[in-house]
Amino acid sequence: MAYIWPIGGGKGGSGKSFLTSSLGRLSAGLGKRTLVIDLDLGAANLHTLVGVPYPKKGFSDFIRKKILRLEDTVVETPFENLFLISGAHDNFDIANLPYEQKIKTLRAIMKLDYDSVLLDLGAGTSFNTLDFFLISQHGIFITTPEPTSIENVYRLIRSIYFRRIRYCFNVTDFKALEDEVVIQFGDGSFNKPECMIKVIADVYPEKYEQLQDVFSAFRFKLIINQVRKHDNAALGMQMSRMIEKHLGLHIEFAGNVAYDDHVHDAICQRVSFLDRYPCTRTACDLHEVGKQIVQPGGQQLMFRYL
Amino acid sequence: MPKGFTQLNYYEVLDIKPDAMAFEIRHAYNAALQVYQPGSLASYSFFPEDERQEILSLVETAYRTLISDQARKDYNEELIRRGELDVRKEAASAAKKPVSIFNIRRNPVAKVALTNNVTLKNKINQSQLIGDILAQNELCGADLKKIRMELGVLTEQIAQETKIRHDHLCSMEEDHVARLPAAVFLKGFVKSYLKCLSLEPVEELSARYMDTVARLPQK
Repeated sequence: MAYIWPIGGGKGGSGKSFLTSSLGRLSAGLGKRTLVIDLDLGAANLHTLVGVPYPKKGFSDFIRKKILRLEDTVVETPFENLFLISGAHDNFDIANLPYEQKIKTLRAIMKLDYDSVLLDLGAGTSFNTLDFFLISQHGIFITTPEPTSIENVYRLIRSIYFRRIRYCFNVTDFKALEDEVVIQFGDGSFNKPECMIKVIADVYPEKYEQLQDVFSAFRFKLIINQVRKHDNAALGMQMSRMIEKHLGLHIEFAGNVAYDDHVHDAICQRVSFLDRYPCTRTACDLHEVGKQIVQPGGQQLMFRYL
Repeated sequence: MPKGFTQLNYYEVLDIKPDAMAFEIRHAYNAALQVYQPGSLASYSFFPEDERQEILSLVETAYRTLISDQARKDYNEELIRRGELDVRKEAASAAKKPVSIFNIRRNPVAKVALTNNVTLKNKINQSQLIGDILAQNELCGADLKKIRMELGVLTEQIAQETKIRHDHLCSMEEDHVARLPAAVFLKGFVKSYLKCLSLEPVEELSARYMDTVARLPQK
């Protein structure tokens, strides 16, 4: 079964697509059959970054039922072992993927036969993004060392936490739960998953056990992208420690990736950054991060979509 | 059930062990400030303002309590009463002191008594083999080796005693002419060797050895 790495980051422009393409290249370079899927629905870019400017087919063909099986929408890229499901030339309402389509897609992704699958997710915290992120326990969060980006990544982490709790309840139970949290912890606290989980521990002990199992199986990682020289290199460690302490969620800090203007140049010239500038600090950082991503620990667990 | 932040004890708040030293406490306090103070990037937007103040004041109290010896002792007692701390762990380890890099007052290395001279001499007098060798007109390296073996001394011991390099000793005993040191050194070495094994008379024996070596074919 394929290892699935959803890559998300909350804020736009933090380098999700660039990192997806780079990590995909590194994984493919090691001889693993790697598939990158552009799930930034409605704002797809990944095809440009992996050197397929005009893909013949793509994800929307699967949604429009022009192509029945998701594996038939895969196109080859100029790089060996690297494959792409493109989001280019979508129909314009693709961003609002209906629920049934989403479930269908999630199931199809889980059945794909590749060594690793990287999902490039969109910005924001729409349900689509959250559900695609929760497809695997190996999610990767990306942020830049800027307050705006950090605010969004915290928001994404909390939303994912929430979404996972929400899976366990039906609408009425969840509403009751929210009310209970407000009674116990005061106004505004229904927004805090850490408060909610405490209430669940009291009210639904068996669901609490189940959720603890799920959360302890998560192997989320955090990458800080576009780190300038004068930025605090310890930021990632601090963030991961704080999330662990205050949210009780273990997110491993995977590394910093240095900022480099050459990334911009490479994208403008539409060449692979790793090929054009292999000896830059950024390329070295990508290799370091890639090592951790390519050799996953533990078994791939799947959330069951019934 | 993981505890909320406000229920953590002061050690857990600062992420230190109960036997942490003042230095570590100060360090942990600074690290915590970096994360929680209002301008910090790591906790930006993570807490509402009042919660941040609460956490900061908790960190502050934790630091002030732990850094003062008396307050820390009282707090430890309270933790022990609450059963959060083992009595054994609470006992502070002896304060670490600076360790000198060079121990100048070290004792001279106890001499590995090469068995004392008297026993060696007795052995020499008693041994038939050594008597025969010493009676010869020639004395080569192989003879020296035989004597040494007879006396039960190791080359390592001789090297330690005489400070002659071990490989020199070996080439002397094997009569490896090409590898021997220059004659002027060799003379001194063989004298030390003989003295070390208490063989007498040193002068005569060393001269005999030098003669023998001079006649050996160059390998």
